[in-house]
Amino acid sequence: MKLLKKGAEADIYTASWNGQNSILKIRKKKDYRIHSLDIRIRTLRTIRESKMISEVKSFGIPTPLVYFVDEKKCEMYLQFIHGKLIRDLPATQIIRTCKEIGRIVGILHKNGVMHGDLTTSNFILTQKGLVILDFGLSQKTDKIDDYAIDLRLFKEVLNSAHAQIVDDAWALFILGYQKILGKNITEKIINQVLVIEKRGRYANVV
Amino acid sequence: MLSLGIESTAHTFSCAVIEKKGKQGTILSDIRKIYRPPEGEGIHPREASRHHAENSPEVLSECLKKANVKINDLDIVCYAAGPGLGPCLRIGAVVARSLASYYDIPIYPVNHALGHIELGKMLTGAKDPLVLLVSGGHTMILAFLSKKWRVFGETLDITLGQLLDQIGRYAGFASPCGPKMEELASKSKEYLPLPYVVKGNDVSFSGLLSATKRIIPKGIESTCFSLQETAFSMIGEATERALSFTGKTELLVVGGVAANKRLSDILSSICKRHNCKFFVAPKEYAGDCGSQISWVGLLESSKKMGTNLEDTFVKQSWRLDNIEVLY
Repeated sequence: MKLLKKGAEADIYTASWNGQNSILKIRKKKDYRIHSLDIRIRTLRTIRESKMISEVKSFGIPTPLVYFVDEKKCEMYLQFIHGKLIRDLPATQIIRTCKEIGRIVGILHKNGVMHGDLTTSNFILTQKGLVILDFGLSQKTDKIDDYAIDLRLFKEVLNSAHAQIVDDAWALFILGYQKILGKNITEKIINQVLVIEKRGRYANVV
Repeated sequence: MLSLGIESTAHTFSCAVIEKKGKQGTILSDIRKIYRPPEGEGIHPREASRHHAENSPEVLSECLKKANVKINDLDIVCYAAGPGLGPCLRIGAVVARSLASYYDIPIYPVNHALGHIELGKMLTGAKDPLVLLVSGGHTMILAFLSKKWRVFGETLDITLGQLLDQIGRYAGFASPCGPKMEELASKSKEYLPLPYVVKGNDVSFSGLLSATKRIIPKGIESTCFSLQETAFSMIGEATERALSFTGKTELLVVGGVAANKRLSDILSSICKRHNCKFFVAPKEYAGDCGSQISWVGLLESSKKMGTNLEDTFVKQSWRLDNIEVLY
């Protein structure tokens, strides 16, 4: 077992599961959180993630396979995905993948699922295309506002971590998204994104 | 170089003189007068501005006297131009303009949030930190990238300071309520379940506010304890996410709520886990003060001229991520 990444929420190890190359994701105990709160959050997210990651496959969303879940220990074995995180790609390549990201997010929303943590480090580019990860904060919902929160987060990430390419990347993302959801709904959701931005502190969104 | 900074965005009216030699700044004086609303009430903007207007001459002269500086010795005058309460901002701006025009001193409008960050950096020695700004007006996670402070996470509705203040006032305390609530929280270990809302790198406190109001009858001490644990854990998680996403190796906490011991314990334990250096603005300079404004003015003056008097402004809504940082 080798530590691959110490994430914010969980630690990621490479491990083997029945001879398969796999990822072990452990939501470790956080000492700074009070015990009852901590256990509630970790268990809920582990169960939610394992369910959702399998369920969205039926919509045609590429996600890692879930091999095994231990909700007591808050850990899960997942299929190992070969590829590169979108965050670490060169700028031009990030722009190009944004359309596909938009398409995937569109399919999720069309099926009533919000991802909850749409960052560029939750997508892996493989030889066969994009794979989406990390459903710990995902939710079933039919609220426009929730979909808009997904979009806003992605926009915020582009705006901060990929500031040089934000305009092109965002435009392509919307293009891909619109292909799935249609113009009307997309416009509605984008409007809601502006509403959420206006709720922000000292915002002067036009 | 000598700079006078005037802060009047909310409940604090403060003047401070900083001397800058090379890259080093020394705070010569920092005088404050704080408007205190009656118990159970928040800031009334008109009353606060009246307080500021009445106290400004005294604060200014005390500040100059303590620094042993005459107005004529000042190289620049800076004032907090936003974000904040309009009536309060205008008092600081008027004082600054008067000095600038009568004594012919260059004048610099300064963003209040930038003041928190830059003074925090100067006092702690942090070089390229992820910044957590937590106060009554802000709850933001920021990092500097190509000339701007970029927002990596923030509150989607009210701020951490507002959350604590509103619960405190609801329970009948005098604002700012943070210290009182911290004291009450330390007397309890009983955790009452409250909603925990983290959305990606962002947090939302409005639901937590309503839910907390409902549990007050179960005991104010356990309410404060549960509120602090829930809200601070949320901030902790959002910060941890941003830290892991940006890969920064320093964390700097600034703003009024930075003075809370429990919050800094949580954050320092996160930093330990990520091998990250942890800095907190010194308690004395965590809240609003003139030094923050004075220092940003000094930094800006190294790159640009003062603003024309007729172009000096106040802006109640002035987001930090709109500002291009030249120095």
